[in-house]
Amino acid sequence: MAAETVELPPVDPAEVQGNIITAGSSTVFPLTQAIAERFQSEGYTGNITIDSIGTGAGFERFCKAAETDIANASRAIKEEEAQACRDKGREPLEFRVGTDALAVVVSSENDFLEELSLEQLAQIFSGQVKNWNELNPSYPAQPIQLYSPGTDSGTFDYFVEAVLEKDKEKLLSVQGVQFSEDDNVLVQGIEGSPYAIGYFGYAYYQENQGRLKPLRIDGVAPTEETAESGEYPLSRPLFIYSAKTIMDQKPQVAAFINYYLSTVEDVILDVGYFPASAEALNQAKQRWLEATGQ
Amino acid sequence: MAEHLSTSARAAGAQPVPIAERLRRRRRIGESMIQALLWLCGAVSILTTLGIVIVLGRESWLFFGDEAVSLIEFFGSTTWQPAIGHFGIWPLLLSTLITSTIAISVAVPIGLAAAIYLSEYASPRVRAWIKPILEILAGIPTVVYGFFALYFMTPLLRAIFGPDTVQIFNMASAGLVMGIMITPIICSMSEDALSAVPRALREGAYGLGATRFEVATRVVLPAALSGILAAVIVGVSRAIGETMIVAIAAGAGPNFTFNPFQAAETMTGHIARISGGDISYASIDYNSLFAIGLTLFVMTLSLNLLSQRIVRRFREVYE
Repeated sequence: MAAETVELPPVDPAEVQGNIITAGSSTVFPLTQAIAERFQSEGYTGNITIDSIGTGAGFERFCKAAETDIANASRAIKEEEAQACRDKGREPLEFRVGTDALAVVVSSENDFLEELSLEQLAQIFSGQVKNWNELNPSYPAQPIQLYSPGTDSGTFDYFVEAVLEKDKEKLLSVQGVQFSEDDNVLVQGIEGSPYAIGYFGYAYYQENQGRLKPLRIDGVAPTEETAESGEYPLSRPLFIYSAKTIMDQKPQVAAFINYYLSTVEDVILDVGYFPASAEALNQAKQRWLEATGQ
Repeated sequence: MAEHLSTSARAAGAQPVPIAERLRRRRRIGESMIQALLWLCGAVSILTTLGIVIVLGRESWLFFGDEAVSLIEFFGSTTWQPAIGHFGIWPLLLSTLITSTIAISVAVPIGLAAAIYLSEYASPRVRAWIKPILEILAGIPTVVYGFFALYFMTPLLRAIFGPDTVQIFNMASAGLVMGIMITPIICSMSEDALSAVPRALREGAYGLGATRFEVATRVVLPAALSGILAAVIVGVSRAIGETMIVAIAAGAGPNFTFNPFQAAETMTGHIARISGGDISYASIDYNSLFAIGLTLFVMTLSLNLLSQRIVRRFREVYE
């Protein structure tokens, strides 16, 4: 079904006045930052604060402290968080802005591996399985070489959360893992040996498609559709949250969200995430229109 | 000559005030400004070193003062993972030692042989060509050497030893290329030492019927030993402190291994990688970098002291 695109009224950033405070997920941070930079380069002269403090802390400041205008989040708001917001007179409004997905990849020279279960992935990345043939006797008797984004990156945090039960010690205590904040280093290393395996943001895999092979996880191949629907186990939605009351009191916040939703599709691939589906984006825009009474 | 000296002495004695005294009394503003400037330049380099020592010391103090860290673990454990509280310097130190050893075992024979050729065999015309070329080699940015290691040396090693033996990031390729990088330094410093050996020694040996090779290896080389050892130690310090090549080619994760074909991160490579990320300043991870820096500093400092002692001990003094 090709949904018709909902159009929001045009925003002129040069005419927007007043400051905007946002805080929350470190994953959404680079996206919000990219859009804020664009907003400013088109003439916005106020201040946008973007604190990268994690989704939970972001909701804390948005709901309990009621001091931020927008909460960046890499998961949907929980019921108790939403309740805390309502207690402060802020009925949270959710805007889906994109999708983050991890690709687990091997070299395109690897001819034995097509798919892993989450459990096998956890065994590999916690050092319980050190050679490929321990995973499956038909695989080569070669040591597994591991590549991972560095401990500062949100990608590392997400992998640890989704695969290793939030215990980063499991991965960090494995001897000989190659960590790099530079995804190029990871690509080179994984590409260089059929016995290497690693992971990073899906968008980054897309840029290096010919050289790497993405694995199916629990039987699901990572694609834009499976990531968006949540069917692919290593994907998560990206949101920003605000409230009608805030948007009424601070027109600059409404204008910024409008600008966010109108430009996010152009920016998001560069930041390294997937765009939200047309439907989800339309729904977000519809929500904006309702909230501002247009 | 003697005649001339005695006349000038007599002339000076005839003056009521000696000429040296008069010259000293005259105020020369230009001279004293130059003196002050030179003093300042000397002071800047000393103060900079002092500043570095203070910063390294203070931040390392914070690190070693933390209750999560013990000196026994620092020097005894083979796991370095600050994010989960493991602070054993050995994986980083071992990989630094391995890459430096490889580099030195490449650079010393080649550099020394080239120096002997340049000082004992080459005609002045050949030397005029080769020296500048060596200096160009010394002027190549190390990041270029790093990519040379990754895209030339590693594929070469993998072609020789097989891609299953040699990992894409490995200490051997970084070490070999680091050796190529240090060769010109060792060559040029050794050549200076060899050329400084007085001609008379060589001619004496020739007079006794020695061949060119015997003169070079039995007479000139031992006579220049102190200078050559100093060159080697400078080369070792360079290898230990080299960052870019190992950061690009040696690996990006601490790994306690003696196998040079495996990826392992050196001390410098680790500092470069971690400080490039966005760790927070107040954290122990951040302070741990200074502890590594201090260890590096102590290593190169003791090498320099050692080289000074060696130079003094083995120096052959000729008139």
